[in-house]
Amino acid sequence: MTETISNSDKIIRRLQDEGKIESLDKQEDLDAIIEMNEEMEIVSREYQIKDKNSQISASTVILTD
Amino acid sequence: MQIKIELCSKNDLEQVILDKLQKTFNITLDIARRLYSKSIIKHFEQLEDDTSFIFEAPYVDKVYRDSYYNYFSSKNRPYKRDGIRISIFKGLIAAEEFRDNNKRKELLEKFMGFIVLRPTDPNLIGRSVISPNVLKNKNFEICVTNIRTTVNSIKLNVEGFPHSSQDSETISCAETTIWSLMEYFSNRYAEYKSQLPSEIIQTLNRVSSERQVPSKGLNIQQISYALREFGLGTKIYSRAEYGNIFENLLSCYVESGIPLVIAMQNSTIGHALLCIGHEPPTEDQIDNLQRKVFTNTRLRDKYNAKNIIVYDYNDINEKYVFIDDNHPVYQTNFLNSPSANYLPDPAWNNCQITYFIAPLYTKVYLDAFMAQSYIYQFLITPWIDLTDNTEILVKIFLTSGRSFKDWLATNSSFNNDVKDLILETAIPKFIWIAELSTKALIKQNKGNGIIVLDATEANTLDNKPLIMASYKGNYIRFAPNSTKLEKFPLPLGDFSIYQNNLKSFI
Repeated sequence: MTETISNSDKIIRRLQDEGKIESLDKQEDLDAIIEMNEEMEIVSREYQIKDKNSQISASTVILTD
Repeated sequence: MQIKIELCSKNDLEQVILDKLQKTFNITLDIARRLYSKSIIKHFEQLEDDTSFIFEAPYVDKVYRDSYYNYFSSKNRPYKRDGIRISIFKGLIAAEEFRDNNKRKELLEKFMGFIVLRPTDPNLIGRSVISPNVLKNKNFEICVTNIRTTVNSIKLNVEGFPHSSQDSETISCAETTIWSLMEYFSNRYAEYKSQLPSEIIQTLNRVSSERQVPSKGLNIQQISYALREFGLGTKIYSRAEYGNIFENLLSCYVESGIPLVIAMQNSTIGHALLCIGHEPPTEDQIDNLQRKVFTNTRLRDKYNAKNIIVYDYNDINEKYVFIDDNHPVYQTNFLNSPSANYLPDPAWNNCQITYFIAPLYTKVYLDAFMAQSYIYQFLITPWIDLTDNTEILVKIFLTSGRSFKDWLATNSSFNNDVKDLILETAIPKFIWIAELSTKALIKQNKGNGIIVLDATEANTLDNKPLIMASYKGNYIRFAPNSTKLEKFPLPLGDFSIYQNNLKSFI
């Protein structure tokens, strides 16, 4: 005989039965995702520049002491 | 060839070392005294006084032998090929203990590491590993690995960080740093292999337009190249590029248990060393932690609009622990004065950490900068619901999924439902974690919220890196087999924070 020891299904079923699970797909949620995506695209471009310049300048610094 | 083995206490250490240097390296007493006071004594002064030592000479050291056969033996002047190994034991030991099977466990507990002396005047300290447990000052948390060795024919092992001085001919600070780092990784993880000096030189020959010996040092890109060739996924960070957040990123990786290659410079000095940990922050240092000022002005405006005060744990100004081949192992300095232990030598005045290399596991695609950026963007979304005037302390670090789950499984302070949901979620080999807390809670090593990110997901669009978040009574995750987020009430409460990345010796 096997015994199921995982509890996630029970926890989620209980929350579903109590109507407590909220899907984050309302218009305000979609707006938040779009806004965050736009911000992260800007951050990502900024990161690529910092990353590239770090690599380029690193080749000029000799460590010997 | 007979190996001579001798046992002595710290009181007799100088006499025995002077005698061994003369006999093994064939030098005069005057030269032995000069070498002892200039480059040897400082390594033993930091050890506790009730320490015993076992001397073994002649000793065949694999690292020095490699340098000897590939370089020193090709010189006209004859160099000795043997070294002296000094093994360190806490407390008193007797010679009989090494021949008594019942004493093996006791010897193992007393064994605190070893230092090899090699005939490379004036930098005699070769391969060494010292357990912080034998130091007078061990108030720090650092990366350590277990190193196996044999002393007086008995197999022993010690936890510490590999260290050596540079011989300045086959290995400068840069090569020594690479050697030390690979020695650490190879003893800690099966994926990596230790590298001898000649193997490091051979690897760099492929990208070098000049000869590699006698060493004239390496540039940062060459160090990064060598580490990448040895299986690590390196990332280079420059202070000039990252500005205000440079030290925060450095701290974030150190908190993640990743030893970093540090470049320290002033107008004349260029030096490589490793940063392997830090002193635990004091309550005063936590109290003095300043509000985080976001360099991203749009993000700053969002937090300011709600008067949310963010403290970043990685901004705490504590001392860090360095492995420096010009100094004894485990040096501590503040990040803004990394050469303080070189003073009053004017040549080292005003040094600054200008770069660091993070030797990451190859599949950690989401780096610290992007992970932090994502976390701070996510925290201000309506889903987290940070109310106006909130004060929040955020501690961000990388760790392995296995270590995190192992810690979580038996963490009795964690809410059981939240724990089960996380433990039964598939997580990758490496994850970014943001523990949410307050100044008051973090002083008790406690948090009250957590965000877990997939470190293998470099694409931050549509919350792709998010695995879960739990804060203020809500749990957020992706619905099963869906790209939609869902949220449900599940109180987390206060929990003991994760402290497994670095080993504490307090």
